[in-house]
Amino acid sequence: MSAFPLQIITPEKIFFEGEVQRLIVRTTEGDVGILAKHEKYVAALPSGPVKITMADGTERIAALSGGAVKVSPERTAILANAVEWAEDIDVDWAKRSEEDARRRVENSQNQQDLQFAEMKLQRALNRLRVSSMQDKK
Amino acid sequence: MAASNMKAIKRRIKSVESTMQITKAMELVSSSKLRKAKERSEQAVPFFNLLYQTMSEVASEAVGFHSAYTELREDGAALLVVMAGDRGLAGGFNLNVFRLADARIRELEQQGREVILMTVGKKASEHYAKATNRVLGTFDNVGETITTYTALHMAQHIVHLFDQGHLAMVEVFFTNMVSPLTQEARQMQVIPVPNLERNPGVQSLTEYEPSPEAVFNSLIPQYLAGILYCTVVDTYASEQAARRIAMENASDNAQEMIDDLSLKYNRARQASITQELTEIVSGANAQG
Repeated sequence: MSAFPLQIITPEKIFFEGEVQRLIVRTTEGDVGILAKHEKYVAALPSGPVKITMADGTERIAALSGGAVKVSPERTAILANAVEWAEDIDVDWAKRSEEDARRRVENSQNQQDLQFAEMKLQRALNRLRVSSMQDKK
Repeated sequence: MAASNMKAIKRRIKSVESTMQITKAMELVSSSKLRKAKERSEQAVPFFNLLYQTMSEVASEAVGFHSAYTELREDGAALLVVMAGDRGLAGGFNLNVFRLADARIRELEQQGREVILMTVGKKASEHYAKATNRVLGTFDNVGETITTYTALHMAQHIVHLFDQGHLAMVEVFFTNMVSPLTQEARQMQVIPVPNLERNPGVQSLTEYEPSPEAVFNSLIPQYLAGILYCTVVDTYASEQAARRIAMENASDNAQEMIDDLSLKYNRARQASITQELTEIVSGANAQG
């Protein structure tokens, strides 16, 4: 399978840069697989897993907290608010943050608080889900 | 009389020396913080460029593109995000940005627009604590530790208010570090999203999911967060640069004062020795 260049960028750093064979991202419409020579494509990404098949065939999973994917002929780029490799996820911390988010959802005073708390909860759940995907592999 | 004069000078030298120690230390701390802040602000550039490029492409390529975030609403308030430092002792750093923001507030209010404020940095929240404007949020002590989540949190507040129809425009007031020696207070229009290239004749082959507008609108919180993150980091770097210069000047001035006082001290010492000698000699003469 032919490889194509992928870049994952966050405001804090360039998280990943290299040749990959396949990329699977979860868009608002469902999972989308991207191979080399994909047509030009842009999609919004909610919090979700990102699966990458590296040039040497190994597979890696990362947890993405919101962003967008942009496929152009030269390269594919993922703009992410935050992203972590599955093996780097601190499960205890994610669990604590899940509990904290659940408390906030219950105690939210208004629509806005609720919205923020739900987003935090989604991020925490996504981390836990991605981390367990990694363990099963 | 001479002895007490000498003592007073000595005391002043001591006090200036201890002040200088503090300014020297602050200068060093600011230099190292500046280095870190500069790295951080440079790292944010590729992300932001790509984000902005993507948004421009969406807005220009999609036929009949239309988004609430690119057009100026007739009514609704203006939100000004004013960023300053958490501490003083940085020369005119805080004042410059307040002067710019205050002038803009007056201008907008004369046009009959309500002005809502959001402040970043302790100095900014103190400055606007007595203002009659509604304050949407204050974010103190975020400069050094800001993460994308903090920025996103701030952005979501703003987007939320905008989506409810309360806001017509958003502007950010920050300090741009032109070089380690010059910082400049700046004003930046954020919403309506400015300078997006438009060439509606070109039909794009790009596929947008779910739709160009949805992609564009979902990028808005990130765009806002990106701008806030970059400007907060830039402002923080400017604060450190300004403080480093202010403290360098203060140390130089202290050194000058010490030199000056040492000269005076030595003169006074010499004068007292001369006087003593004269007294002894004239005493001896009188006896002889």
